[in-house]
Amino acid sequence: MAPATTTGVEMDAFLLRSLEGYVRATFGAGQWQAVCRRAALTIETFEPMLRYDPGTADRVAQVTADLLGRPVETIWEDMGTYLVTNPEHEGVRRLLRFGGAGFTDFLHSLEELPGRARLALPDLDLPEIALRELGPDRFEIRCRWRLAGMVRVLVGMLTAMADDYGALCLIEADEAAPDRIVVRVLDSFHNEARRFDLALPAG
Amino acid sequence: MGITGADVAIPAAGLARFMPMHLLLQGDGRVIGAGPTLRRVFDGAALVGARFEDLFEVRSPGGAITVGEVVERAGQRFRLAPRSRVRVGLRGLGMRLADGETILLNLSFGIDLVAAVREFGLTDADFAATDLAMELLYLAEANAAVTRELRGLNLRLEGARLAAEEEAMTDPLTGLRNRRAADLFLERLCTARAPFGLLQIDLDFFKAVNDSLGHAAGDFVLGEVGRLLHDQVRAEDCVARIGGDEFVIILPDRTAPDVLAAIAERIITRLSEPMRFEGAPCQVSASVGIVRSPDFAALSPAEVLAAADRALYAAKHAGRGQAMLSGDRAGDRG
Repeated sequence: MAPATTTGVEMDAFLLRSLEGYVRATFGAGQWQAVCRRAALTIETFEPMLRYDPGTADRVAQVTADLLGRPVETIWEDMGTYLVTNPEHEGVRRLLRFGGAGFTDFLHSLEELPGRARLALPDLDLPEIALRELGPDRFEIRCRWRLAGMVRVLVGMLTAMADDYGALCLIEADEAAPDRIVVRVLDSFHNEARRFDLALPAG
Repeated sequence: MGITGADVAIPAAGLARFMPMHLLLQGDGRVIGAGPTLRRVFDGAALVGARFEDLFEVRSPGGAITVGEVVERAGQRFRLAPRSRVRVGLRGLGMRLADGETILLNLSFGIDLVAAVREFGLTDADFAATDLAMELLYLAEANAAVTRELRGLNLRLEGARLAAEEEAMTDPLTGLRNRRAADLFLERLCTARAPFGLLQIDLDFFKAVNDSLGHAAGDFVLGEVGRLLHDQVRAEDCVARIGGDEFVIILPDRTAPDVLAAIAERIITRLSEPMRFEGAPCQVSASVGIVRSPDFAALSPAEVLAAADRALYAAKHAGRGQAMLSGDRAGDRG
C-alpha cells in the first residue's frame, strides 16, 4: 500500500485508527498484528491525521471480520459503540453530546454534524446524513457515503448515544436499503442520562 | 428613523426565555428583574432591589458608574465586571424603555464563555436557543481535540525520525556508532576547536580467526570487541566501528598523553584475553594509534585521521599489541 501523506484529513484514516484501537482493546495486540499480516499491511499503526489509500478501511475491516469469524457489519457496529463508550475516546462522546439536551434533540442535530466537524477540520469529508421524522417517536436516517461500513458505524454510535442519554430505543440498519437506519424511541427517559458538563474542568 | 414597527410588550417569562441574562432596572438604578442565567452568576443572591453600581463595576465606557451613565454614554455596547465570586467579563447592550424610565440591559459572557460555563455549571438550558454559545463551546473542544491529535502525531513522527537517525548512525553488528557517526562527531569537535584524544584501533590476528573458524566466529569476535570497547569509555565518548576490524574512539576533553596511553593499554589487555566461540578459542589482540588535538596547529578531521593512521602503522610495525602516540609532532603540523 502507498505510504501515508499529509494532505488533508480523511475519514478513512479516522476509521482505520478507530478500528485499530477497537481490535487492540477488545481482542488484544496479537489479533491486530494478525490482521495487519493477513491484510498485507506494511504498517501496524494508523495515524488519524494522515491519508491512506481509498478502500483500505473497508478492506482491513473485512480481514478483521474473516479473522474473528463474525460479519463485517458487526465489526463496524461494535467499533462505533466502542468509540462512544471507551474512556480513551471521551472526546467523541462529548462532541456528540453537544448535539442536544435529549436523545431526540441529538437525532435532529445529526444533519448538522458535517457542518460542525468542518468548523474544526475544514477539509474533512463526512457522510451526508438526512433525518426524517416518520412519527412522533420514529425516525429514518439516511447516510450516504463511499465507505460501506459507515452506516454500521453510525448504528453502533447511535446505540451507544441512546444509552448515554438514558433513552430506550430500537436502532436498526435496514437490510433492504443499505443507507437506511430506522430509530424507534420507546422511552426517552428510561434511565438517568450519563453526566455531561458543557465545559471540562480547567487544566 | 428608517425602521418602523409596533412597540411590543413581552411577558416576564418570555423575556427570561429570550434573554436569560437580561437585567431590568428602575431609572434610579435599582433592579426590578433579572434573567435566570444572570442570577446564577450571582450565586442566587437576591438581585431585585439591589443597586446597579453595587452589582457591577463598569469597565467601559470609561468613567461611567451608574446604569444611567452606561446607557447614555455607551452608545451600543458596554462592558461590565460583576462583583461576584467569580470574575468574568460581561458585555451587553441596553436601552431606556418607552416609559422613559425603565432600563433594559441584555448581557452576554463574550469570550469568557468557557470559564463562565465551567464556574457556574451552566447547561444549554441556560442559553437562549438562538445563542451560539453551544457552537462556541463545541468548537473550542473540537479544536482542542484536533490540536491534541496533531501534537501526538508530531511526537510520534519525531520519535520515528530519531529512531531512523539513530539507526543510520549505528553499526548493526556491534551496536557501536558507524563511520558516518564518527565522522560527524570528529567534525563537530574540530569545528568547535574543542580538545580531544582519539584512538584508532585495529585488531590483530582477526583474519586468522575468520579464516580458521569461519565468519560466524569473526562476527562473534567483533561483537565481543564492541562490548569491551563500549565498557572502557564514558557515555560522552564516541566508539565506532569504521571498517571490517577497525575501530575508533574519540574522547572529548581527554588530551593527557599518559591518560590516553593508559586507556589504550587497558583496551589491548582486555582484547588480548582469549574468547571462546562454540568452545573454540579465538585469540586476537589490537594495535592502537593515539592522537591528541593540541598537537595540531590547524585542526581538520582529515589531518587527525591521517596522523592516527600513521601512529597505528607505527604501532603495527613495532610489533603487535602495541599502542603508539603520534609523536612526530613536526610532521603532523598542517
